[in-house]
Parts: sequence; C-alpha cells; structure tokens
Amino acid sequence: MSHANKPELIINGKRTDGRDFNELRQLKIEAGILKNAAGSAYLEWGNNKVLAAVYGPREVVPKHLTDSTKAIVKCRYSMAPFSSLSEHGRSGPNRRATEISKVIKEVFENVIILNDYPGSEIDIFIEILQGDGGTRTAGITAAAVALASAGIAIRDLVYAVSAAKIGENLVIDPHMLEDNYSDADMPVAVSPKNKEILLLQMDGGYTREELKKAFEMIFTAGEKITEVQKDSIRKLYESVSK
Amino acid sequence: MSSMDLIRSGYIKELLENGKRLEPRGINEFRQIAIKCNVLGNAEGSAQVDLGNTRVLAGVKMVVEEPHSDTPDEGNFIVSAELLPIASAEYETGPPSPSAIELARVVDRGIRAGNCIDLKNLSIDKEHVWSVYVDLYVLNYDGNLFDAGTLAVMSALATSKIPKFENEEIKHTESDEPLRVDNTITSTTFCKIGNKIVLDPNGAEEAAMSTRLTITTDGSCIRAMQKGLSGSLSIEDINNLVEISFSKYDELKKQIQSVLNR
Amino acid sequence: MRKIVLPGESIQNGAKRINGAYVSSNQTYAAVVGMYDDERGTLVPLEGVWLPNVGESVVGIITYSKKSVYEVTLTDFVGGLIILDRYSREHFEVGDVIRATISAVERKNRAILERCEVLKGGVLLNIKSVKIPRVIGRGDTMIKQITEFTKSQIAVGRNGLIWINGGNIDLAISALVKIEKEAHTSGLTERVKQMLQAGK
Repeated sequence: MSHANKPELIINGKRTDGRDFNELRQLKIEAGILKNAAGSAYLEWGNNKVLAAVYGPREVVPKHLTDSTKAIVKCRYSMAPFSSLSEHGRSGPNRRATEISKVIKEVFENVIILNDYPGSEIDIFIEILQGDGGTRTAGITAAAVALASAGIAIRDLVYAVSAAKIGENLVIDPHMLEDNYSDADMPVAVSPKNKEILLLQMDGGYTREELKKAFEMIFTAGEKITEVQKDSIRKLYESVSK
Repeated sequence: MSSMDLIRSGYIKELLENGKRLEPRGINEFRQIAIKCNVLGNAEGSAQVDLGNTRVLAGVKMVVEEPHSDTPDEGNFIVSAELLPIASAEYETGPPSPSAIELARVVDRGIRAGNCIDLKNLSIDKEHVWSVYVDLYVLNYDGNLFDAGTLAVMSALATSKIPKFENEEIKHTESDEPLRVDNTITSTTFCKIGNKIVLDPNGAEEAAMSTRLTITTDGSCIRAMQKGLSGSLSIEDINNLVEISFSKYDELKKQIQSVLNR
Repeated sequence: MRKIVLPGESIQNGAKRINGAYVSSNQTYAAVVGMYDDERGTLVPLEGVWLPNVGESVVGIITYSKKSVYEVTLTDFVGGLIILDRYSREHFEVGDVIRATISAVERKNRAILERCEVLKGGVLLNIKSVKIPRVIGRGDTMIKQITEFTKSQIAVGRNGLIWINGGNIDLAISALVKIEKEAHTSGLTERVKQMLQAGK
C-alpha cells in the first residue's frame, strides 16, 4: 500500500477505533446456523462477517484422490464480490485466496483426527461476506466452531488472531486500515491445549524481542477468543423446557 | 507419499537420531550453492541457482505500464512461479498449483518486506511506471524451493538493468543503468522430521517432513515468515530457528554479492 | 455429575478408550462436543459421525446392484453391502428402502448387512445419528409411545434414517424432529407424550 497518504493510526495512545493496543474487536459467533451443512458457524469480528461451513465426511471427488487410510481435507477460502468497501471483486479464486485456502487447510489437517474417517473427504468452506482486516484468522476461528458443531473428531478447538506493529507499538487484531499501513503483520493460528502454532505468516519487520512479545499478546487474546468459541457451542445445548 | 518415500523417511529419522543426514552435512548446514547471473539474453536480469540438486531459474522482465490508481507514484513488483513438469515426476502441466502460488508469494513478500526495491524509484511520469516482473522457473526439484527461489530472485534483481524509455518505446543499450536494489534479504527454510528440525531439506527430507518454516531476514530484522504443512511448531522451536536464520545471513549475502563482483 | 465437554478439554487422567475421546500423553481428551458423566466415565456425543457396529439395526437405500451383490447408502460416509449367495431367492431393486442388521464391519465405514427386508411405501426421515438412541429411548419407551399414538409403522436405523409408513405420519415426523432438537434435555419423554396426545 502506498505510504504517501499514511494516516495517523495511533492518536493519544489509542487506536483509530478507540481500542487499546492489546484489545480485541468485538467478537460474536453463532454455531449451527446452516441447516444443510454437517456443521457451520457465523462469525462477526469487528466489521468482518464470516460464514464457515463443513461438509463430510463424504465420498471423495475425484475418486483418485481417495486415501484409504485417512480422510482428505479440502478448504476453500473465498471473499465474496461484495465483501470489500472499495471495489467489486471478481468471483472465483485468485492467487491470494488460493494461498490462504492452502494454509488454512493445513491447520485443520493437523487438528482433525483424520484416521477416524478413512477413504473420505472433509470440506471446509470459508466465505468472507464482509472484510475489515483479519479475514483469514476470523475464518479459521469460525471453521473450528463449524467442525465442532459437525461432531467431526478434532484434537482441539483452534483459534487464530493477528499481531501487528505500528511504529514502535505492537497491537493485537488489526483492522484493515491498520493492516494496510502497519510495519508488520503476523496472523497466527494456535492449538490452545499446548500452545502449538499451526499457522504462522508474517511480513514487515520484527526484532526478536518484538516477535516474542507479539506471541505473548496472541496467547493472551486467545484465551478470550476460545471462550467465545466455546460459548457458541454450549449455547446449542442450553436446556429447553416448555 | 509413495512407498519409497515411506521407507526412506524411516531411515532419515534413524539417521537424525544420531545427528546425521543422508548427505555428509550438518543439521544446520546448507548444501552447495552455485549462482550464475545473466544467463538469459532477452531478460533484463536473470539468475540460475543450484542448491544441491535443486535448480531454479529467475528471469526479470521490465515492462512499462500505467500506474495502479491507488499507487499513482509507484511502479510494480510481481513474482510468479512455475513448477515445471520437467522438474519432477510429481509436477503436472496446467495452471499454477497452490504450491507454486505459495512459493511465488512467499518469495515476493520477503523482497517486498525487506524494502529491496523502492517502488517510487520505478516511476517514470504520471502515466508511466516500470513494472518489474520476476518469473521463477523450477527446473529440477530436490527440496527447498523457497531458499533457492529467494537466492535466484535476489541475484537476478541485483544484476538487472533498466532499459531506456523514450518516445513511448523501450530501448536496450549498452549503457543501461543497473536496477537500484536497496537491501539484501536472505531466507532460511527449516523442516521438522519427527521432533528434529533441519535446515535446507533435500527432496527426500521434504517427503519425510511434517512441517516447514521459512524465515526471511535482512540481517537485523525478521522480514517475513511462512509456516507450511500440517505439523506444529512450539514457540521455542520458532525462537531457535530465528536465531539460526540470523546467523546464516552473512554467508548467504556473500554468495549473492560474489556474483555482483564478477 | 454430568457436564458438557468440548474438543480439546481433558476428561480423565490416564489413557482410557472412550468413544468420542482421544488419548495423548497419558491423558484422555474429548474429540467431539458431548455430555461427560464423571461418575460413570462415559461420554455421550452431542454431535458425531456415525460409525457402524456389529449388531446395529440400520435403514438404507439400495444404490447399486451387480449379480447378487448390492450396495446400500447408509450415510454420506458409511456404505452397506449385501452379498447374497447364488441360491438365494431374495432380490432387491435399486431405489429400494431396506431395513437390515449389521453382521460385520470392514475398514471403519463399510457395513456388511444381513436379514434384509424391503420397506415398501412410506417416507424416509433423516435425523442426526447421535440422536437416535434418544428416539428409541431406554427400554424402547420413546419409540413405543410414538407408534402407539400415531399408529404408524416405524423402522429406526441407527445410522439416522427413519422409515415411517401409515398412521399419522405428520405427527410422527413432528415428534421425531422435536426429539432431535431437544435430545440433550431432561423430561423429554413426558413433553413428547404431551405433544402426541395434543396432536391426535
């Protein structure tokens, strides 16, 4: 992004949306929202609106991709044409979406207990209906809930969030403007059980110390994200007595 | 994974238990690197890198285009990659696979984040900017396309020349100026096999790996990182690999600079 | 004490083979969302993918036939196989709805079927397989009260497919859908009874 008209991102120690450096945007998740999918979740994170759906385990198409010892995972991350403020996007995969689909697939290949579903395919769809920075981390966070609501065996409920650097300051969960003008951006997906890193991408510039601090901020934020994910699943089973 | 790969991966893991690899090489040692520049006569810049038996070719083409509306005073820099079917029995013809796209984008991000090319410097006038297209052609696959790719692109850019743009025409002359490259970035790619992590995996080691991490640095800062595949890494793993990455910067930078002095 | 557990949550120290859970580093963790009873050490999945077991009763649709071998769809993931011997007088058509018992399981998702019976007419309802035990009820109490009130013939497949024929089909479907939705709650048998009585 051109830095010619770089806006002030931090004013009087607060971010443009009034948040503190370590404050997450508001996060809401609703599980089981699509009736045909095996599992699904709708997520609103700041101004992001994301729909995640899981199909399967089901027959592998095309057949020659079948692995008789375990399930194969396919993932499609896609930004809807109306998702961006400034443009009408063309539908269909572009290079960015292809790369993101690949790295997200790799997260779930780790946590799904693939051996439980040999010879099958598990499909994860992430649709970005409205994007405002952090769409891949929002997508992963939603897809984890969708998998749990599908009852597909997973080792852990993974979450994802980004840490960015603005000038000298590290901030958690950047929105789009911060993302575009930041000096570093690092989306990370974590399996909270053992704090294992399942997705890690970064570009910009971090010193070793900044990197360590960024991970700490991510783990702290992760505790809150996990609670929202868990609540959304528990909510499906709230007692119904009439 | 073919059955051959499974047999070898067992053997590779055994060797690693004793700190050994298939070749006589340390776990944090690169294979032999050979870089040749100016190998493509019609390109504005080029480099062929051999990293062990992995061979990649980077070609730079400079094209004059209209600037993008959101960056009116900047030129463009785009890296693409192709895993040619000739490079490996596993590669097929067709549009770029997700792996090819990932390779291109990771190398691209490393160079961009390292501020190696000042895009403002590529502006000619209000309607014309230089677009630097770099195409990475993988000619032979034997592991670690990321580091071979980064070396090839950095070397090709370092020896590129900007043609003259006069009267709406691109003219190549003997006195063309070199493309200005402000920084050098280097990348180190590690792979996790079992619970051991090695630098610069060859093809057999990549068949045995569960996770891959590429770290790109400019010697003082971490400029880019990409974790690949479905294994996991701990924070300790990542911090250790960052240290090793910094320690390799000087030796890799020397390799790139040695071609400049030829 | 029963409580809802979520994937990744530890349910027991030590390695224990529990359906819906997995073992790692000598600890047992939930793999699906379920109701964990710490006194009994059981995990009842609230969501799950049905895996066939010998002896289970299923309802399926014949999708392919060749000579005396028939392929049966049980779920998106699990297929059934009927292998008749040369002298068998039994015969099925593609599209037939059948009820059968699982005599053997191959490779996790292939069930060999025996004692197959064609179910003619009626409708097929597909509900989540994890809810089927609740549809049957302890000692068949739940399914019995549904058939009593609706006077419908009902075949319940452990794979999630339910065949309903005759009687008050709409009332039967309403009751089954209600059970699927409220399977995790208490007092359900009574509430379903009230609904059946009201809907008669």
